[in-house]
Amino acid sequence: MAAKRIGAGKSGGGGDSSILAKISNSEIVSQGRRVAGDTVEVSKKLLWSTGKAAWISGTTFLILVVPLIIVMDREAQLNELELQQASLLGTPPSTMQR
Amino acid sequence: MADLFPPLAAAQVDAKSKVDEKVDYSNLPCPVPYEELHREAFMSLKSDNFEGLRFDFSKALNQKFSLSHSVMMGPTEVPSQSSETIKIPTAHYEFGANYYDPKLLLIGRVMTDGRLNARVKADITDKLVVKANAQLTNEPHSSQAMFNFDYMGKDYRAQLQLGHSALVGATYIQSVTPRLSLGGEVFWAGVPRKSGIGYAARYETDKMVASAQVASTGAIVMNYVQKISEKVSLATDFMYNYFSRDVTASVGYDYILRQSRVRGKIDSNGVTSALLEERLSMGLNFLLSAELDHKKKDYKFGFGLTIAAAVSASGFG
Repeated sequence: MAAKRIGAGKSGGGGDSSILAKISNSEIVSQGRRVAGDTVEVSKKLLWSTGKAAWISGTTFLILVVPLIIVMDREAQLNELELQQASLLGTPPSTMQR
Repeated sequence: MADLFPPLAAAQVDAKSKVDEKVDYSNLPCPVPYEELHREAFMSLKSDNFEGLRFDFSKALNQKFSLSHSVMMGPTEVPSQSSETIKIPTAHYEFGANYYDPKLLLIGRVMTDGRLNARVKADITDKLVVKANAQLTNEPHSSQAMFNFDYMGKDYRAQLQLGHSALVGATYIQSVTPRLSLGGEVFWAGVPRKSGIGYAARYETDKMVASAQVASTGAIVMNYVQKISEKVSLATDFMYNYFSRDVTASVGYDYILRQSRVRGKIDSNGVTSALLEERLSMGLNFLLSAELDHKKKDYKFGFGLTIAAAVSASGFG
């Protein structure tokens, strides 16, 4: 507190303005400090909960979707191979029926 | 211009035949059995996830007789009061003998912890089927026995159940329209003296199956399965108990491919589970199972191998 007052006194030209500056300064500083603290707190919480949400959704994705993608990819490869073989052997592709 | 007419005429004929089909109430299809009302949804959603290792081997000795061996290793949950799940490692061996015949089916299972399970299914005539199921354990008062008499009519099915401890039940299901079937059940149990009734409805088309069941025990079950294609189906179910007020809903997919089958599910308790069955070669299947419960911090992973030597391999479970 003392350091602040000295600092305020040094920078201020007149007595009136120095007091004003001091008051505003201290209020802003305390408010700023509070706001900064709150922001840090909130962002910490937010970060933590985002992290948790990401963790849960990531693991869920890993369990539900990744095997499906791999298996579908394999199936597509298999189909392609079969198609290639069919074209090599010269069998006509099955015509679509209405 | 001439091209336009044949489809139109065909459509008209189609519509006509559809109307005729709807009017013809004397020729309705036979409904599914009452206990299999939800079978499509169960097939997609009730995958038997396991933890640890599972190894199944079955060998057909001849056309009708087969033996099976299975080994299960891994942690099993122990029921406890606290919310934390307690698991102890266990290992089981199960020996089974099966006899398949078009008219008679006999299945026996013995486990190393002394449990014995026997099932008999006999077709007495084309319409009447008798099923018996017995479960014997070495603990007193936990052995069970059950007899079912199924009668299949032209557009209805009826079943009479007789169980140990004076359980008597009957179910009846009737096709109302070609797509809709309605059923009901009555049961009366002697030892914990109680009785109840239930109703069920099932509606199916080529693309979807919806079923609902309500019982006087307070349970309400609703299922809906949408078949997106021959390979893919999406299923959802909703369970509600009127007396205990607990609700569970789940949604899942079932993807059947040429060499594998994947089933995934997520439910309203936050439990995610998936089961991958991969066919490595003829008669050799590889299983991967995963189940995540973030709320309880309970993660289950399992892998298994199913080997079926020679003809039949469908007697597990």
